[in-house]
Amino acid sequence: MGLLLAAPYAIFVAAVFVYPLGLGVWMSFHDFYFTAPGVDVAKPFVGLDNYATVLSDPDVRASFVHVAEFLVINVPLTVILSLLLATALNSAIHWRGFLRVSYYVPYIAASVAMVTVWMFMFNSGGIVNQILGPLAPDPAWLVNKAWAMPSIALYVTWKQLGFFILLFLAALQNVPKELNEAASMDGATRWQSFRAVTIPAVRPATTLVVLLAIITGANLFTEPYLLTGGGGPNGASTTPVFLLYQQGIQQGNPDIASAIGVLLVVGVLLVTYVSRKITERD
Amino acid sequence: MKRPLVVLTATLAAAGMLAACSGGTTTPKGADGTAASGPIKIWYSNNPNEVAWGEQVVEAWNADHADEQVTGQEIPAGRSSEEVIGAAITAGNTPCLIYNTAPVAVPGFQKQGGLVDLSTFPDGAEYIEARTGEAASQYVSADGDYYQMPWKSNPVMFFYNKAIMTAAGVDPENPPLATYDEFLDTSRKIVASGAATYAIYPSPASEFYQSWFDFYPLYAAESGGTLLVEDGASTFAGEEGTAVADFWRTIYDEKLAGNEPYTGDAFNDGVAAIASAGPWAVESYGDIDWGVAPIPTSTGTAPEETYTFADSKNVGMYSSCENTGTAWEFLKFSTSEEQDGTLLETTGQMPLRANLTDAFPDYFATNPDYTTFADQANRTVDVPNVENSVEVWQTFRDAWTSAVIFGEDEIPSALKDAAGTIDELAVKK
Amino acid sequence: MTTTQKQSPAILKNDAGSTSGKRRSRTRQLLPMALLLVGAVGFLFPFYYMIVGALQEKRDPTLAGALPWPSNMTLSNFTDINESIDLGRSLLNSGIFTGAVVLCTLFFGVLAGYALATLSFRGRGLLFAVVLLLQAVPFQLLMVPLYVLLVRGFGLGDSYLGMILPFAINSVAVLIFRQFFLQVPREMFDAARIDGAGEFRILRSIAVPLVKPAILTAALVTFIGPWNEFLWPFLITKEQSLQPLAVAVANFTQTGAAFHDNPFGAILAGSTVLAVPAVVLFIVFQRHFTATDASTGVKG
Repeated sequence: MGLLLAAPYAIFVAAVFVYPLGLGVWMSFHDFYFTAPGVDVAKPFVGLDNYATVLSDPDVRASFVHVAEFLVINVPLTVILSLLLATALNSAIHWRGFLRVSYYVPYIAASVAMVTVWMFMFNSGGIVNQILGPLAPDPAWLVNKAWAMPSIALYVTWKQLGFFILLFLAALQNVPKELNEAASMDGATRWQSFRAVTIPAVRPATTLVVLLAIITGANLFTEPYLLTGGGGPNGASTTPVFLLYQQGIQQGNPDIASAIGVLLVVGVLLVTYVSRKITERD
Repeated sequence: MKRPLVVLTATLAAAGMLAACSGGTTTPKGADGTAASGPIKIWYSNNPNEVAWGEQVVEAWNADHADEQVTGQEIPAGRSSEEVIGAAITAGNTPCLIYNTAPVAVPGFQKQGGLVDLSTFPDGAEYIEARTGEAASQYVSADGDYYQMPWKSNPVMFFYNKAIMTAAGVDPENPPLATYDEFLDTSRKIVASGAATYAIYPSPASEFYQSWFDFYPLYAAESGGTLLVEDGASTFAGEEGTAVADFWRTIYDEKLAGNEPYTGDAFNDGVAAIASAGPWAVESYGDIDWGVAPIPTSTGTAPEETYTFADSKNVGMYSSCENTGTAWEFLKFSTSEEQDGTLLETTGQMPLRANLTDAFPDYFATNPDYTTFADQANRTVDVPNVENSVEVWQTFRDAWTSAVIFGEDEIPSALKDAAGTIDELAVKK
Repeated sequence: MTTTQKQSPAILKNDAGSTSGKRRSRTRQLLPMALLLVGAVGFLFPFYYMIVGALQEKRDPTLAGALPWPSNMTLSNFTDINESIDLGRSLLNSGIFTGAVVLCTLFFGVLAGYALATLSFRGRGLLFAVVLLLQAVPFQLLMVPLYVLLVRGFGLGDSYLGMILPFAINSVAVLIFRQFFLQVPREMFDAARIDGAGEFRILRSIAVPLVKPAILTAALVTFIGPWNEFLWPFLITKEQSLQPLAVAVANFTQTGAAFHDNPFGAILAGSTVLAVPAVVLFIVFQRHFTATDASTGVKG
């Protein structure tokens, strides 16, 4: 029965994604580039050569470190802020609609526009530095090797928070009101009832949020591309997907790109597996 | 989505995979003089001026060729157009002609088997060389044939904002910008006086093509027209390349240029006093009172001997084209003297035609702004037509950002390392 | 999951040491409200800046540029867009593209999410792995093969279907539904099964109504992807009459960078035009979001 319900999804996946995915994996073991139909070129099997190339490339290794750095900042920040904000939004009595829309807006608007605003705020003469005065980092955030990745992590957290707030809001709709009321009657503080009622009740949603934050974070591409001008400063904010794009789409080395992609996917699945073990345990 | 559709999709998928794996059968090529004729499709760039030009050339042709109708479609200019073309080559659904093929992408497309060798048309090489003259030789591929028709260039020069120059106490009609020392002095005045935040603001981003607007024009000028790679070997690690790199590093060290990504156009916004751009930019600088200066060199080369980067866009004929005969005829029609004149008038970009100023005297008499560019168009270099050219430029750009923009590496060693890598890339199949 | 909910009150009793309720209850309301409002300003600012920038006649990149100076205001960026884009047509295309994607997403998502959460069958683990895998694979890797498959294999170039297919499966939605069905107490489904209801009936009359917030959420979070998507629809269709708003706007802003007096304003105006319908849609739908009241049925 379950198989029947899942069948449409499975068939669809098979129809649309099996070929590209399979080809992707296949490419990573061959010397391969895309050719026009009818053009016959040798595509010899090269074993793990592409992987060796990729793993011995310091730029690729650095990009994995960058994305790890990103996740360490972005995921906890996302989970904590979105849960707190969703809880507060859920109990707000006035302006609920207005508040929800406000937090959701950055998620809707096109990256090009939002990136511009962020630059406006974080460049050397921007609002943030003016407020910080002498405390402002030099070089400014986005061209500072130490701050580029944290700045991106902060930006992405801010941009996507609305999405995660919505997930928690929906989950909170399923938390029986009686529980909070009971807690309140017992004289629990807001913080106590948050910890004792809300957090356990939305645990499945938390798992989901962590999972999605990791997966989307690992696929980070647009931000290093637009916000730091192509993985800048001086390659300090490159990510695996960014290099994959450079190699596979710009430079015509889809075999190398596939090897990066496969490594990334394996890494992501491992990390999500571990994080599920942590967040889903009782 | 209904169930039957899903089943249908699945069946199609199986068929599709077979088709995709086994590949097509033939690639029509105009190898002999009897290339087929019939309707063709072309793509041109989507900016309003080029669309206007494209529409009129298609209309003019269609009026006389009822059996060989041409259909035009727009594709975006710039980065995404190469992605689109690359994917279309692989799927075999490119149009016959694309009037926006970047020379840097040609070696890649050629390797994919996506381009028709124009030299296989009986009058192919002859036509190209007659129209473009000596400059055509830079567009020849490694096998000695033409896989692109040199079409139009946008010789890069330095625009300057006269109002800012005046505010900085610099002669706005003739600002000293000819030598590196003059350029630096003028720049310091501009920044110190607060007339503009920066003297010049080329994009500091890491995309492979950004070096075409900071390093390459100056290198072309300094070296008297040397390409980045010649005869399979890098040329830039020598004295001239180092001089250009030192010059830019001084600019960045003294904060005469910004090293932060900037969205928008810094020159247009008055943030920078000088911009490196081609004639296409004239239109967007509408209400700025600008002047234009040749590219500086260390010793101040005379303008009539100064080279620069061509930033050209060419026309490629793609191998999925069935009616290559019509495509070739249309290509010649659209690059005829008459159509080149229309192109000049509607877009302000320079047809890659020998002796431009003599060919269109009326136009240049009424548009003196463009005469400087037309004259400059006689002395340009383009990107070298070498294997892995995008990767070559990316390698160079990475070394440049590191050594020049952020000053973290020593210039001579960074250039030398990049040259070593590029020497390998440029010949690797 | 039900077990955690049942435990909660018990834990509470241990914590319930403090008293003094009423005075605190006002600050309980005010403080978070103030913080929420401050936060909202931070989140709205970029949107505001986008609109101000779109209305500027001349760009002002300084801090003062964040204020709407009346002397520097113009609607010309918007009238330019209106002139160069067939707004009605591209909105319709966006509607078809996005609407179909959301419908497919919800349909596949509910079915697969329900199966993954409440039924045990062979291959469940595999299916879940596939869902995660699809989400984890970067689109940049699949793009060219996918394009070749759809255009050459299926012959779907220049069609709505070709635009829709790669987006019709959205693993995020499957994960959302799985998580929400997991939250529903299993006994409810078991009771229905004992009464002899088939899975389709359970799904339709019990499961779906229960996860209404999830359906709305999934719709709201997935529609924005196709709405803003530029590259894929453009790859698949060169016919302008088929191109959605995001493509039309991107075409406009890309050329805008070179052919407008205020190229930057053109970009921001384009972004505004693209964002406004999405925001309006969100405003309309979030009401229903509120209306789905908490306690319906889930008493466990």
